[in-house]
Amino acid sequence: MRFMMIVKANEKSEAGVLPTEAQFAAMGKYNEELQKAGVLVDLSGLKPSSAGVKVKFSGGKRTVVDGPFTEAREMIAGYWIIQVKSKEEAIEWAKRIPAESAEMAEVEVRPFFELEDFAPGPAVDAAKERMKKLQADGGPKS
Amino acid sequence: MRVMIMVKVNQDSKGERGAVPTEAEMAPMGKFNEELQKAGVLLDLSGLKPSSAGARVTFNRGKPTVVDGPFTEAKELVAGYWILQVKSKEEAIEWAKRIPAESGGIEAVEIRPFYEMEDLEMEDFAPSPAVDAAKELGKKLPSGAGGKP
Repeated sequence: MRFMMIVKANEKSEAGVLPTEAQFAAMGKYNEELQKAGVLVDLSGLKPSSAGVKVKFSGGKRTVVDGPFTEAREMIAGYWIIQVKSKEEAIEWAKRIPAESAEMAEVEVRPFFELEDFAPGPAVDAAKERMKKLQADGGPKS
Repeated sequence: MRVMIMVKVNQDSKGERGAVPTEAEMAPMGKFNEELQKAGVLLDLSGLKPSSAGARVTFNRGKPTVVDGPFTEAKELVAGYWILQVKSKEEAIEWAKRIPAESGGIEAVEIRPFYEMEDLEMEDFAPSPAVDAAKELGKKLPSGAGGKP
């Protein structure tokens, strides 16, 4: 099963404060453990919401709203994608995050929809083909 | 630049209530995804199961506590995302505007650029074993977080 471990934003991440060398090293050690265990699929950090925009949809209309967005707790600062055998294994990995050093208060652990979860049909078949092509192009191995 | 276009939903959304998209709802989204792919901008996409299938881990002085979903108090939850490789924020916005939002029941998306390794260097990150190790790791990841353009 693939899970996304979502790191919630806080005031520091929203202010664009980069990690110190010590914080970077602690997180690097954890990432190395994920990789050595063969469970790490991907990871990334997102810039503060001030660098982003929102697009709202209403009755065919599109409205663009520039960041920053105010509800820091509802926002995302980064994530890991891991491939594990169970939700329990995902939670065990989440518990091992060096949260204190990174001043991280919370992560959300969320399973992915896999194409097998959907009823078969032309759109699902096309999606499967597309994912195969993405992988063949050297893209994500998800 | 790499951006993530996140689909944000609230607890009343169809997906959070456990509805799986129908074939008719998936077809317009499939067509949009195909356009992204043909334009060579699509790096990845995924959908997340409702928060009822997930868990939260909170940390208090480093001590983890696990809380099972659903996250009913959340005003915004991530339901899925695209990762695009585009030339500018404006290009990302143009793609986002073309999302078949009505058929997918999408009310809003958030577009967020990624940190790249170059950003760390710009901030006078002294070369160090931790930064070097992160770059090596990044090279092996599909999204190229280690500093691919």
